[in-house]
Amino acid sequence: MVMMMAPGGTKEMAMRVLDAGADSTYVGVKGWSRRGNAEELPDDQIHEVIDYARARDKNVRIVVNTLPSSTEIPMFMERVKMYHEWGATGFMISDIGCMQLVRDQIPTAEVHTSVGCGIVNYADVHFLTELGATYVVLPYRLSVAEIEAIKRENPNTGIEVFLFKTPSGGKICPGKCMMSSYFSFERTLDEEGKDLFFGSASRGGDCLRVCQTEWDLETEAQRHQQEITIKSNPSLWLTELPAYLKAGVGCLKVPGRDRSVELVCDITNVYRRAVDEILGSDAPKLMPLERELQALRERWKAERNNRDDGLISSALAASNRALVADAIGY
Amino acid sequence: MNNNKIDLSSIELSTNVANPKQLRQCDISAFDAIYLGDFSCMDYPNNFSSHPELLADAVAEIHNAGKKAYLRIYATPGNEDLPEVQAMLDAALALPFNALEVHNLGVLRMLKERGNSTPIHLGVFGNLYTDATARVLKDYGVERVYPNPELSLKEIVYIRDNTPVEVLFPVHGKIPLVISETCFIVENSQCATQKVNPRGKLVCDFPCNQDYWLNRSNGGWVLKDTGRMTLSGKDLCMIEHMPELLQQGLCCFYVQSHGETPEYVAETGRLYRAAIERALATDALPGPSGVETLSQLAKEGLCNGYYFEGAGQTYVGREQRLGA
Repeated sequence: MVMMMAPGGTKEMAMRVLDAGADSTYVGVKGWSRRGNAEELPDDQIHEVIDYARARDKNVRIVVNTLPSSTEIPMFMERVKMYHEWGATGFMISDIGCMQLVRDQIPTAEVHTSVGCGIVNYADVHFLTELGATYVVLPYRLSVAEIEAIKRENPNTGIEVFLFKTPSGGKICPGKCMMSSYFSFERTLDEEGKDLFFGSASRGGDCLRVCQTEWDLETEAQRHQQEITIKSNPSLWLTELPAYLKAGVGCLKVPGRDRSVELVCDITNVYRRAVDEILGSDAPKLMPLERELQALRERWKAERNNRDDGLISSALAASNRALVADAIGY
Repeated sequence: MNNNKIDLSSIELSTNVANPKQLRQCDISAFDAIYLGDFSCMDYPNNFSSHPELLADAVAEIHNAGKKAYLRIYATPGNEDLPEVQAMLDAALALPFNALEVHNLGVLRMLKERGNSTPIHLGVFGNLYTDATARVLKDYGVERVYPNPELSLKEIVYIRDNTPVEVLFPVHGKIPLVISETCFIVENSQCATQKVNPRGKLVCDFPCNQDYWLNRSNGGWVLKDTGRMTLSGKDLCMIEHMPELLQQGLCCFYVQSHGETPEYVAETGRLYRAAIERALATDALPGPSGVETLSQLAKEGLCNGYYFEGAGQTYVGREQRLGA
């Protein structure tokens, strides 16, 4: 049986996606997930979401996928234990050291390796399985054939895929990219002593999308305006879904913690119907749903562009602050 | 500044050399150890990381010069690349390499499975952020880690103090910021010609032999792109801070020279060697740190990376640091 997970970027979103047909919702902990503060939940709200899900026989996955400071790990473990006691089922984790600690100290918790692990081949999945991963989330860039090979090599590992993807190739993101923090990193402690690592998604701040401003690729000899972006954006996909399920994908992940509640609920609803159609029919009819999804892709893009503009502006402001502090100027 | 914990014989200054041509052209006399190969691009001409037949001569040459030889293994192998990586491991493990540098966790597990006993160094794209991760890696034979560039000096020293692994401390050169599975220059440059072979595969005529820069169209931001890796525009430079690093007990220093000229390799090596000797000497007179010369070699200027807790692109001088 395939599990469909949908984002809980806010308490309202987390509850409404469960109503819209998700089996599970994933929520980020303030300061501890790969998103900014606005898309993360405080503990009291996480508790409410867990109670809400459990009352409906659904479950909650907690996103704690930052790569923390070594000295923050005791704080990390304390939190994971608390959410587990509240009834959270699984945890999304990037740091393999933290992963092993959770496995050892809370054996009943399910561990999802985060996209921050930057998996590129089936041997990576061997490694993470050996470490105790229940599910590995694969990057947005893999083909059905690659996923089949990974599942064949790792028959007992849960395979989780995002319902959006980029063309294969290109810069490896997330998981192997520090461009945002190079320009804009700022370290600040919150009231609990957690470093928010502003500008670094890997460390718990937000990726400020510096790859999405306009860039020119130039040599010494050739200067020309190109205005390319450094990375292409993922988009929602559907027609390959039957092939993915056949390949043994066990968990589908709707993206969008940083999108509007309405859009995320509409997307969840389309995918719920798509999965039910595929599981319930030998010849699933996906075309009507594909048409619905096309409209959602447009809304997705508009929301993303809007959000990127804001993030890039905040990266520029942080970059300027960094350079003002840099008075030597070598 | 004196230090009673460290003496010159325990210091290692290393850099990287991609292929036999660079090994011939570069004066590596200032270095104690060489990382052989370009871990980002298997297609790079005669890359040690993808040419097993070139390894025996190279390792002998480096050992004859009294230096340690490490081999870099391809950082981002897809499923279809794993057999080639396996063949590289077969070749490398039959030779007296002092260590293999591995970035990929899957490759790490392949090495453990075959009972490897050659020391392993974790590469920069191995995502080493915590002491807990260093301990997991130790179980896979990792003896040395290249900390993620986002870590501060304090965080690196903490890991060194609280784990059984050694840390490599990059002191100079452009910071690796993101790695690619395909070549950004071939895909995007108007200068690069795109040829396709009969099997439909893009044929490369190595436009990366020129320097490519990514400039933000509206100004302000610069990055260097070597095709399968994007680096900081500025050069990380810690030469003014060598006394502090040595006082912290750090001893494995690295100059990141991917995509740089032989002159750059020789000059940075010479200056850092001198800086280390000066910092450890009991009777050294104050003199120029070398930062001015290094600044002239850095087209986009210098930075300290993330070591002092700020954005990677900032530079903090010795005096500012002492004042802080």
